[in-house]
Amino acid sequence: MQANLPPISEIWVYLSGSPLLALVLTLSAYLLGLMLYERSDRNPLANPVLIAVILVTLSINVLDMPYAKYFEGAQFVHFLLGTATVSLAIPIYKGFASLKGRMGILTLSLIVGGSTSIFTAVGMARWLGVDESLVHGLVAKSVTAPIAMGIAERVQASPTLTAIFAVSTGILGAVLGRYVLDALKITAWWQRGFALGVAAHGIGTSRAFSVHPEAGAYASLGMGLHGILGAVLIPYAVAWWF
Amino acid sequence: MIQGLVQIFIFQALGELLSKFALPFIPGPVIGLVLLLAFLSLRGHVPAAIDLVGSNILQHLGLLFIPASVGVVLYLPILKANAWTIASALVVSVLATIAVTAGILKALAKKD
Repeated sequence: MQANLPPISEIWVYLSGSPLLALVLTLSAYLLGLMLYERSDRNPLANPVLIAVILVTLSINVLDMPYAKYFEGAQFVHFLLGTATVSLAIPIYKGFASLKGRMGILTLSLIVGGSTSIFTAVGMARWLGVDESLVHGLVAKSVTAPIAMGIAERVQASPTLTAIFAVSTGILGAVLGRYVLDALKITAWWQRGFALGVAAHGIGTSRAFSVHPEAGAYASLGMGLHGILGAVLIPYAVAWWF
Repeated sequence: MIQGLVQIFIFQALGELLSKFALPFIPGPVIGLVLLLAFLSLRGHVPAAIDLVGSNILQHLGLLFIPASVGVVLYLPILKANAWTIASALVVSVLATIAVTAGILKALAKKD
């Protein structure tokens, strides 16, 4: 019987040649990340994406699989980013319903807040002497990752660095946001939520939803509007400033 | 489910086309987003098929940026060399963004 089985190395060569391995790795790492996130009572520090990225990175290292090879298989997941971006219209549309004539000040605070995000990040990074090749990745980091990566491609920044900085920003905002908001005595749920969505996009939004539904609705609105305005305006800001 | 997926793909494809031929400075999916938003506003509600697919995709949004994020392996040396400085920039920036955004809203909101 043994003789009929191909040697393990051949199975291995076959598997790593098909997209299946990368897909299974990506999906199971994400499921594991989700599980740990739920176990931790949705602690933003146990972010499922962060956990999954660490797991996949370790796995492809152990398997000696080059990143390009991994991405070849995982691109089927990556492709859906565009579809997800289009779907963001749904929470934005639902958020509009709760606006109550606040569109003007929301837009104003979004534009000033979004600019603050870029200028403080790039300014601080340059002041501290961060390597210039990393600085461009900071430009779109407060925009929701799927749109941020599209912006990155347009401003010659690395989509990977942008995604990493976006996820880190989301986690930091979700963890630290409440302390700033408390210190400034901002008590209205819609104001707290919108600020979290603008600064910390999807991760901040899910944090806001777990605290209060009104905060969540305004956070998704903040995230969505920041995505649209950012996609249109950030390339100009970059052309002007860099 | 397939029905909703096809509808969202159509908006995505329209967005890509417009981005390619008319509005090259805006990413295609963002144009698709705006088109879908306009469509939803015209309809006055979110059709169930679109809601089902869109909400499911968004629920697992995080999964979709794992493949690109794993590219971090290519940047590990340079990220390690800049770890503390970049972390400080990220922390200061996110705190400032939250403070400024919420501060403006609080200052300008009518008391309600």
